[in-house]
Amino acid sequence: MNRAELTEKYFELVGYMVTSARNLLDESPLYGPFRLVDAASRLVAIMEEDDLADQRLLAIRKEIEAHKYSVMEDPTKFRQFLDSLVDLLVSQIASSPGRGGGVYREKLSCENEGKPLKERRKEG
Amino acid sequence: MTEVLEAIRGRRSVRSFLDRPVDKGILEQLVEAAIWAPSAGNAQTWRFVVITEPERIRRIKMVSPGLLGDPPAVIAICQDLDEARAKGGELGASFLAQVDAAMATQNVLLAAHDKGLGTCVVASFHRGAVGRLLGLPDGVEPLLLVSVGWPANVPSPPQRRRNVVFFEVYGESG
Repeated sequence: MNRAELTEKYFELVGYMVTSARNLLDESPLYGPFRLVDAASRLVAIMEEDDLADQRLLAIRKEIEAHKYSVMEDPTKFRQFLDSLVDLLVSQIASSPGRGGGVYREKLSCENEGKPLKERRKEG
Repeated sequence: MTEVLEAIRGRRSVRSFLDRPVDKGILEQLVEAAIWAPSAGNAQTWRFVVITEPERIRRIKMVSPGLLGDPPAVIAICQDLDEARAKGGELGASFLAQVDAAMATQNVLLAAHDKGLGTCVVASFHRGAVGRLLGLPDGVEPLLLVSVGWPANVPSPPQRRRNVVFFEVYGESG
């Protein structure tokens, strides 16, 4: 993708976000989180076309695309999807290479290792 | 079950489309179905704008957060609210025009479903922005957008609420 095409893709995304901001004043509150994750997915899609999206971002986008429409079906399912998306993100943050190239280790007790974020919060 | 009831029950909101155009002749049939919808007081103050140019659809998408996927066609369901007011008073503009638009939209959805097309009704868009991009004159408002295309993915039917129908009096399920 050349620079002009890339700029246009970002312009489309900005248009989506700006009109979402205005429309959300009058829309269902659930559409706010939906638009945010949809915007995140669109951003990753642009990055993917420009070969900038790594496996973490692609995994997040895949999850969003698989479950985002649960907002139209069942608010409880949508909430669970967002919780699991945050869990995925936290796992990625924990295993992300630091800026210096090292690996940051999440400070977790052995008991918490592998548990979903929500359960850790309850216990903490 | 009659074909009409099958069509009503089989239609889904499709948000994922194949990269394949829809013939103009089919789109004309969809808007022909629209203009045969009931119209309060026979006002027929609706207007329909069929959009197929990819660049125009791209621009409309920029101001239409609810327009998801990449449909090859979009139908803007509009109303001339000045004419609706002149014909039906304030009720005509504030209510009947909306109802007429909804009934015309359902006709579009069913006619499209009959052709094997997928559709999705969109209300999440900026009316002023879409009006400008479509060159709508003053007084004509876009009320709904309908994305139209060949489905890439048809969602499974969502559950329908059953406890919303009563017979004779509210609360009696008959």
